[in-house]
Amino acid sequence: MIMMLPFLTALIAIGLTFRGERMPTIISWSITFLIFLVWLNYHMSDKLNISL
Amino acid sequence: MDYSNRSQTATGQGLSFWLNAFALAAVCGSLLEALYWQIFFNELPCPLCQLQRVALTLAGIGMMLNVRFGASPVHYAIILASALGGATASGRQILLHIAPGDTGYGSTLFGLHFYTWGFISFVVMMVFCAVMLCLDRNQLSEPRVQLSSPPQLNKRVAIFLVGLFFLIAAANLVSALMVCQFGACPDNPTEYLWKFWS
Repeated sequence: MIMMLPFLTALIAIGLTFRGERMPTIISWSITFLIFLVWLNYHMSDKLNISL
Repeated sequence: MDYSNRSQTATGQGLSFWLNAFALAAVCGSLLEALYWQIFFNELPCPLCQLQRVALTLAGIGMMLNVRFGASPVHYAIILASALGGATASGRQILLHIAPGDTGYGSTLFGLHFYTWGFISFVVMMVFCAVMLCLDRNQLSEPRVQLSSPPQLNKRVAIFLVGLFFLIAAANLVSALMVCQFGACPDNPTEYLWKFWS
């Protein structure tokens, strides 16, 4: 899984807003949110070695 | 179209703009603070910390849309969904560190760990949306039309905030590349996997 992907799609969304394109920004946000949810599910269910 | 409440709507637009701009500035401040700690105290973000940064950025996009295009229920829905996701990630991290002998991950700020501050921030964002949906009710019930051109100051503030937000998101992208490269992030990162210096 590529962890930097949501940062890239979020950056694209912000760039689209800068250019004044509202709907493409919302679509880009949706893609970012989807990747975020997949990533969240992965880290909610895996055994993170940061507790002790 | 009935313009009888034109002045009220214009005032509401002004208040909505400034409150959303303030919220976006707060999100930028939080992301900058995390980057500051990472660069100057060498505290690398763990996977759940990275997730919280993404959630902050996602919520910031909703605020940015309100600042740039005017308030809309869709924009507030974006903030709410992002805050809910962020609160889930930070809540998971808080629960992970409730164990005997566990001192938590990373430094503290005013006695609380960053992920605890993250959880508080996401809850505040949800309250922000509830308040703003009440304040903007007249504006949100009308068709999305620009009644008058926004003041020059608002335009400048919007450009500055969107530009700053873009730069911070770009810095976070570089940071994620350096910490995780193109794979999964290490559970407990102690050094950069990619370094642009020796």
